[in-house]
Amino acid sequence: MLAFGVCLTAGAGRLAAQAASEPALPARLGAPAKTAIVAIMDSARAAGLPTTGLAAKAAEGVLKGADDARIVDAVRALARALGTARDALGPTADPSVLDAGASALRAGVTPATLRSLGNAGATPAGAPALASALVTLVDFVAKGVPPALASQSIEQLLRLGAPESRFVTLRNQVEADIRDGQSPETAVTTRVRTSVQQLGAPAGPGAAHPPPPDPASQTV
Amino acid sequence: MREQQEDDQLTGALAQAASMLRAEPVPRAGWREALLEAVASDEIDQMPLHRWSVRPAAAIAACAACVIAGAALSYGVLRGPAGAPAPGVAASSVRNGDASLPVRFALEAPGAVHVSIVGDFNGWNPAGLPLHRMPDGRTWEVEVGLTPGRYAYAFVVDGRLARDSSAAESGADDFGVPNSVVLVGGS
Repeated sequence: MLAFGVCLTAGAGRLAAQAASEPALPARLGAPAKTAIVAIMDSARAAGLPTTGLAAKAAEGVLKGADDARIVDAVRALARALGTARDALGPTADPSVLDAGASALRAGVTPATLRSLGNAGATPAGAPALASALVTLVDFVAKGVPPALASQSIEQLLRLGAPESRFVTLRNQVEADIRDGQSPETAVTTRVRTSVQQLGAPAGPGAAHPPPPDPASQTV
Repeated sequence: MREQQEDDQLTGALAQAASMLRAEPVPRAGWREALLEAVASDEIDQMPLHRWSVRPAAAIAACAACVIAGAALSYGVLRGPAGAPAPGVAASSVRNGDASLPVRFALEAPGAVHVSIVGDFNGWNPAGLPLHRMPDGRTWEVEVGLTPGRYAYAFVVDGRLARDSSAAESGADDFGVPNSVVLVGGS
């Protein structure tokens, strides 16, 4: 009973701390919209989801002059994506991974694929590698690579234990290739094939180290 | 009586003089023909013609030199004083103490009074991160510590949202106004 009380207190304290760190909702929002968004955030907080992005989404909508109904819809959609991402990636997923997972879902990646990526990313490289992989996936899809191809490519690298830096390098290389005139699809296919060979190659000179990042890339 | 007579005589003489002045002078017969004949026979002085002759190759070279000089001048004017930061986004590869990477955002807005940056990293709070005007008077800049990830952002120039034209675009967003995107790499 004492343990339950301590857990309850600790949980309540964590929720209170999370709420305190959230940005305040914009004053321009009408009372009904504010009530709806607070309710969405309360539910997300209770479910253990990160809520900072929800408040930021409301602020973004206000800044862009969107009406209250559209802002509430956007906040609700983001909360739903975070929940789906958490279901796919597991209850212990890092907030940065959940945010990246929600972005991937909203970019067109299916929950089943996200689950598969989460399983592939359960490696010693850990959350930073998985978060970086998902960020890379969203970037590729935004560049016009079909979600299925982008997901397969990223999953392949995750299964080989690619570290965070490998995905950064991959983004840089693909960006440079596209600038040089290659199609996004070709650039991703070619660069991932090379990365797979490097990661899967037997230990030897240079095999353990990813190539240095391309300084000309847009990734900073 | 005598005075009256003198007055009458004087008035008559004045009237005669006035009538002579008003009368149109009659030119001498043949004067007009003589004048036209003289004009027609007079030789017109020939103005010396100075013709510039330039070889085509020299003209092309001169044009090219003008274009190059103009381009260089324009570049210098647009770029501002030497050492002014270029607009865009750039990051250092050296991490801060809190594992974030310093990312520099810069925007060229010569006439602006206040510029700030909003984005995923500051909760889209327009008052959160003001940019500072650089000594060149045109460029605004701020450095933000960001952990690796993908961030959507926009500038707010005198209360109006502005995209960073040097950055990638986010594509469709929830509110129909695309953002700029920066990808911050890891170690």
